[in-house]
Amino acid sequence: MKKAVAQFATLVPIALLVWALYGLYAAPAEPPRDWRLHMTQEQHDLMVAPIDHAFRVAAYSVTWAIQLGYLAWLGLKWSAQKPLAGQESR
Amino acid sequence: MKKILFGLYAAFSIALLVWAFELAVNAPAEMMQGDAYRIIFYHVPSATVAFTFFAISMAGSIGFLVLREKSPVKALAWDGWAVSGAEVGIIFCTVVLVTGPLWGYRAWGIWWAWDARLTTTLLLWLIYVSYLLTRRFAAGPQMRTSSAVLGIFGGIGVPIVYIANRIPGQHPGPVFGGDRSSGMAPEILRPFLWNMAAWLFWGILVLILRHQYELKQQAAAALEAEQSLNA
Repeated sequence: MKKAVAQFATLVPIALLVWALYGLYAAPAEPPRDWRLHMTQEQHDLMVAPIDHAFRVAAYSVTWAIQLGYLAWLGLKWSAQKPLAGQESR
Repeated sequence: MKKILFGLYAAFSIALLVWAFELAVNAPAEMMQGDAYRIIFYHVPSATVAFTFFAISMAGSIGFLVLREKSPVKALAWDGWAVSGAEVGIIFCTVVLVTGPLWGYRAWGIWWAWDARLTTTLLLWLIYVSYLLTRRFAAGPQMRTSSAVLGIFGGIGVPIVYIANRIPGQHPGPVFGGDRSSGMAPEILRPFLWNMAAWLFWGILVLILRHQYELKQQAAAALEAEQSLNA
């Protein structure tokens, strides 16, 4: 059970990181620099909205990946330390 | 009893984060930056928490240096706060250094600029990374003393990073306490403050866990030393 929890705690941050990177990779292409010649402001805003969204999702995912990754790492170190604490009580 | 209180605090912190996330995602759209502006709800609170924890680390380092000869046991407790503050502070500072470029790319069209704010934040992060590396690799009784000195230098860096925001550059000026153009619309300020509170509560939770781990580590090291003396 403990092993499964540890594996899950390690996998979640990795999955979040992969999700963030995939979101950035799969985001639509930027409009051309001279977009004003080809489209209206509304069309431009509609085009960049999914890109902005992908960056926001990536930022939030990376934040959680870092936070949960650290927590998982701390948990692993903590559980590795327990035998020493057990020696103390003997 | 302590465990129950801690569990309640943890549950409250997580609930607060969920609430703050909900507010951040549903905050009114910003005209120029679209959805990307919502990165500030994670970026700025993370910076605030990082700087607060670096200050805690500095206080812990000073406490350790002052008490190390008079009261070694108390000094170790201060050292525990110093290392916990530094480590958890680095985690939050890493979030700042990753989310910042993600926002910057959308707002400025570039990932990074060597302006005062960004550069000093990176330097601060490097100082604390070297603090942790000193603790990890320096051997002998001087390890804590050397790292405490480094921790004080890092703490001095915090106000420098804060002031660096006022030097004109790529990074936006201070949102609060800046010039007349600073400030936030009330409908954006509300989710911002909730996220600030949520990340602070979460940070304190992680800091307490890290400090508990450090105390256990110290107890284990003391036991090991005692056992090797008796052997």
